Amino acid sequence: MKTCLIVDDSRVVRKVAARIVRDLRFEVMEAGDGAEAMRMCRENMPDAVLLDWNMPVMNGLDFLRSLRREEGGARPLVVFCSIENDAEHINEALRCGADEFIMKPFDADILESKFAEVGLV
Amino acid sequence: MQEEVFNELADLALKSSGQAIPKSKSYLIEARLAPIARREGFGSMADLVHCLKSRANPIFAAEIAAALVSKDTWFFRDRDCLQRIVEDVLPKRLKASNTGRLKVWCAGGSTGQEAYSLAILLADEMPPALRGAKIDILSTDICKVVTEKARIGRFGHYEVQRGLSIRRLIKHFTRLETGQWEISEDLRSRVSFRQHNLLESAGGLGKFDVILCRNVLPSMAKPARKRVVESLAEQMMPGAMLLLGSGENLIGITDKLEPARDFRGGWVAAGTANAEASAA
Repeated sequence: MKTCLIVDDSRVVRKVAARIVRDLRFEVMEAGDGAEAMRMCRENMPDAVLLDWNMPVMNGLDFLRSLRREEGGARPLVVFCSIENDAEHINEALRCGADEFIMKPFDADILESKFAEVGLV
Repeated sequence: MQEEVFNELADLALKSSGQAIPKSKSYLIEARLAPIARREGFGSMADLVHCLKSRANPIFAAEIAAALVSKDTWFFRDRDCLQRIVEDVLPKRLKASNTGRLKVWCAGGSTGQEAYSLAILLADEMPPALRGAKIDILSTDICKVVTEKARIGRFGHYEVQRGLSIRRLIKHFTRLETGQWEISEDLRSRVSFRQHNLLESAGGLGKFDVILCRNVLPSMAKPARKRVVESLAEQMMPGAMLLLGSGENLIGITDKLEPARDFRGGWVAAGTANAEASAA
């Protein structure tokens, strides 16, 4: 079973996303900020990361830059999931190594569509 | 929904667009007509039907009929099929036609995502064999409002996130102040839109190299399916192909078309599938 790390400081968003991602047959891990996510990746690199932008301690962009420098960090497919949905932010996320981008709010159809876009489902 | 009310609306759907709406799906009628009922201030579907029957207003009746047809669509729905049309079907048609021009019709194209997906593919991944060709894409729908929305090319938050990659969104769309995303003028110029009821003659639309009528026929009653398919067949140039949705077929509907040899979901004029395979 593939693994997906959901990184978001909102417990509600994590809960909603986790339910959808589990339905897509992923094993789900959760982190509340980028630093916690980084520690989890060093222990067990996931297949996919669903990543919020604005978070305390370490934001999504800093996490992504760090992840891509880690050994094995190029492998996870990273799908940003943010309310920052203008072209400038989206391009910045892509430049830093995001594979896809979901604009919040999202639903199961959107999440599945974006995971399909990068070959996760 | 009261039985009489359901029967009136289901009958209107059948007569005007060939839709067969079973009683078990009466919720579809309520969902599709709710915006009109709200706008007109009707307290119930019974009020709406009463208005339809008491006032002979063909424009209002046509609006109701069009609203009863499903609008569900998304970008790159059945991507493999669209890809093969661009990479395989169109180059073969171009080679066979020798005119340098190709015509594609998305019949029942709703808000335009299918037609725009083809335009995006042609813009991003134009096969060498199609370079220099003039490719006209027409999308039609029974609903005037939907056709107008498609022509304007503005899509909402949810619409642009179903089937469209973020890179294509950023490349081909601009975000407006309203939060909607507008498709580029270049892509809009590649597609034209017209209101058209598939039950009516399509003679005025001309002949086509490829006709897509995907996920439209299954909701229709069998006689309407036959009428639509045979009307579409009339608009196919010699050697043209009709593309249906996956799982749809025309067996028992018409003998004017037969399955294409090398294209699942593709239908060609009866008696030509073998000839086409040997020519290829």
